[in-house]
Amino acid sequence: MREVIAAPLPGLDLRAHYGHYQSPAIRAGGLIFCSGMIPVDPHTGERQHGTLTSEAHVIFGNLKLLLESAGSSLDRLVQVHALIYDSIEYDVLNRVYRQYVANGPPARTVWTAQIEAGFKIQLDVIAAA
Amino acid sequence: MSLQRQVIAPPVPGLDAARSFAQPMSMVVRGGEFLFVSGLTAVDPQTGERIRGTTMSETDRILANLKLLLEAAGSSFDKVVKVNVLVHSMLEAPNMNEVFARVFPEPPPARTVCGARLPDGVKVMIECTALA
Amino acid sequence: MTEKLSRSTIQPKNPVLNVSRSANLPHVPGIRIGDYLFLSGMGPTDPNTGGRNHGPIGEQVRTTLNNVKHMLESAGSSLERVVKVHVVLADISHMDEMDRVYREFFPVNPPARTAWSMQLRFGNGCEIECLALVD
Repeated sequence: MREVIAAPLPGLDLRAHYGHYQSPAIRAGGLIFCSGMIPVDPHTGERQHGTLTSEAHVIFGNLKLLLESAGSSLDRLVQVHALIYDSIEYDVLNRVYRQYVANGPPARTVWTAQIEAGFKIQLDVIAAA
Repeated sequence: MSLQRQVIAPPVPGLDAARSFAQPMSMVVRGGEFLFVSGLTAVDPQTGERIRGTTMSETDRILANLKLLLEAAGSSFDKVVKVNVLVHSMLEAPNMNEVFARVFPEPPPARTVCGARLPDGVKVMIECTALA
Repeated sequence: MTEKLSRSTIQPKNPVLNVSRSANLPHVPGIRIGDYLFLSGMGPTDPNTGGRNHGPIGEQVRTTLNNVKHMLESAGSSLERVVKVHVVLADISHMDEMDRVYREFFPVNPPARTAWSMQLRFGNGCEIECLALVD
């Protein structure tokens, strides 16, 4: 069956803060499906707009917290959709992204998409439990 | 023993958008213990015709159709693990979200929403992964 | 608690198609987790030169899907074992032409698919990502 992974810190509960009708993550079949990760303060839930780099740091910090609370880790990432607001930031994305996936990065596809609240980056990930 | 792969036929022809629009895809495919549902757009489940409306009404129609597809595959809304929503404009995300809150039982699946260019002028497209 | 699925990296037999490595990018061509294969998005990379094969979208889709086929076969899978595909086109009006070629690769019991348009890098007309089961 599937299991809801609750937000490990209150700021990561996007439903409570923004009304997004979603769970932070779901574990099923040995995988963890995460809702799109956005740069919010993990304690307060406040949006942390910045550069793509600064937003990515916040997102990865939150993702690390979420996965570790679920018994997983960044090293267990399987697939990432890296959403960026403009493909011109591709190299910037890579520079910050590589800092977090040095130990055996996952599969990745980069999507240039319109992201909520005008954020420059969002991560949509699946990890192994 | 290798994981089972199986195409699950939609319960009524109108839900088979692949057939209606002559597209090379299957609406629902089982792979191991997961069901993978193709990106759905708003169609009439009886006639298969595209139903154009607001983002909200299209979302409503899509989720109603999704329910039928999942149930035909022996699954259900409460077995959905992840939803990906593509909207033609993120300004419409709250409207789409409102429909989700009305239609999906608690607790909701994981979800990612983004804005993209969608085919044939549709306002929203929804794909999901569920447990079989 | 159930046993954790084993995770490993998959590589194409043809190193020219290992764009992750050749371009020193922070990803891998694909990950095997349990008996699932998650492939990174692939584009119209020429399997001989490593350059990008631009030109009519039909040919770009053909090159890309041939690359996907190669990746799957390198990893002990095949097109018939694909369960889910994401097709991203730079130009939404290319959908029909993409379908025309795509259906050659998945003639029977095709996988689930979501196809849409976004800005793509490097002037690529398409990017295709898939999830498959090992044989």
